[in-house]
Amino acid sequence: MRNLIIFLRRYFNFFLFLLLEVICIVLVFRNNNFQKTAYLNSANNVSGKLYDRYNNVQYYFHLKATNDSLVSENARLHNLLRSSFDSMLTSNTVVTDTIRLYSDDTLHRVVGTQLRRYLYREAKVINNSVNRPVNYITIHRGRLQGIRPNMGVISPTGVVGMVRSVSDNYAVVLSMLAKSSGSATSNFGVSARLIKGKETGTVYWDGANPGYAILRDIPRSVKVQKGDTVITSGFSSLFPENIPVGYIDEISVSDKSSTAFSIRIKLATNFYNLQYVYVIDNLLKDEQQQLEDSIYSLTK
Amino acid sequence: MSILLRNIIRFVLLLLLQVFVLNKILVHQLVSLEMYMLFILLLPFNIPRPAVMLLGLLMGLSLDMFMNTMGIHAFACVFMAYLRPFIINILSPQGGFETNMKTPSMISMGVSQFVTYISILVVLHHMALFTLEVFGFGNFGYLLMKIVFSSIASLILIVLYELLFFSKK
Repeated sequence: MRNLIIFLRRYFNFFLFLLLEVICIVLVFRNNNFQKTAYLNSANNVSGKLYDRYNNVQYYFHLKATNDSLVSENARLHNLLRSSFDSMLTSNTVVTDTIRLYSDDTLHRVVGTQLRRYLYREAKVINNSVNRPVNYITIHRGRLQGIRPNMGVISPTGVVGMVRSVSDNYAVVLSMLAKSSGSATSNFGVSARLIKGKETGTVYWDGANPGYAILRDIPRSVKVQKGDTVITSGFSSLFPENIPVGYIDEISVSDKSSTAFSIRIKLATNFYNLQYVYVIDNLLKDEQQQLEDSIYSLTK
Repeated sequence: MSILLRNIIRFVLLLLLQVFVLNKILVHQLVSLEMYMLFILLLPFNIPRPAVMLLGLLMGLSLDMFMNTMGIHAFACVFMAYLRPFIINILSPQGGFETNMKTPSMISMGVSQFVTYISILVVLHHMALFTLEVFGFGNFGYLLMKIVFSSIASLILIVLYELLFFSKK
């Protein structure tokens, strides 16, 4: 016993070192569990508020770019309004509008027999990184404003990522810029399809350049061209269909025997100057989930 | 200014500098600017070793909190803090550094000694940090290049910081 104590005292520093490193490693791997609400991250009170202050200053320098993107989006939405469609006033022409009308309140659900499926909430980006292997975005909206983990996030121009953890007033978004094969953190791939041929594939970020990503699983029989648009497929519950992911930039075949292209796409979202994002609430997700769970419990 | 106060100020200053300035600068995917570990490097010579490690943990965790990289920086920082006394021992002349020079600096250690001390520890820190961040040796070339380029960038920053702020006391 005495020898043991002497031994421990002699190597006290080394054991303390081991203990601290084990604590760190445990933190790393515990935090990497997907969707676990972590308290020690940039959504907590201290760092959230500091980032908020910082963003207040930095926001002014991006006003011009932000305005531009908001104006262009306004223009796009104006084009969807019923008032901007010209109806031919002949009695036997049916004018089919391209949008369906819902009541203006944001409290979702039923209008007539139509269900609202997606609800968009805007959120201010207060922190963003692009130069790490796994990047996160902090937004100023949280649990109290209806944000929950697992919601999709888009920008005015394209896909951004998914909500990973929330606090009362802030949320941390896992950006699409998360290197898939890297750490145990995540394999974040977005299910995407070509706008022309409707073939589906998956978009990953390869960690090289924040402006580009890789589209996999497109068979070689498909004709693809530089500049083609890649959109979301709607297969996952995160994103609705037809949201731009990127534009084809370079087409290559990794080895001659492979049956699929590996396509480099230019991402539709400019991650360098994100200012506002939309968080997508899939209102029918719970219903679908419950149905699937009930089937699962029956078969078990 | 007392040593304690000076170090507290340095802690806050380096943390803010890292979070709000250096993390916002994009040079290249391979170059990430890290300077926060200078706090550990500039702690006084005679501080007990457990204290260095605990301060390393504190610094690392504070930064991790801002960057959503729970534990990664803390790991690297504790690793560096543990090795710091060994490096100082190897570099110190017979009988240790002069006792009135309490903190490592270009004056107290000499320029070449100081730069060696900084570079060894910064490289070790970056090795631990990026190995854990990239997690795995699958892409070894990428990891190696990232360590080399980021170390060079960090060293330049640290030497500039020293030249700007060193005092003749």
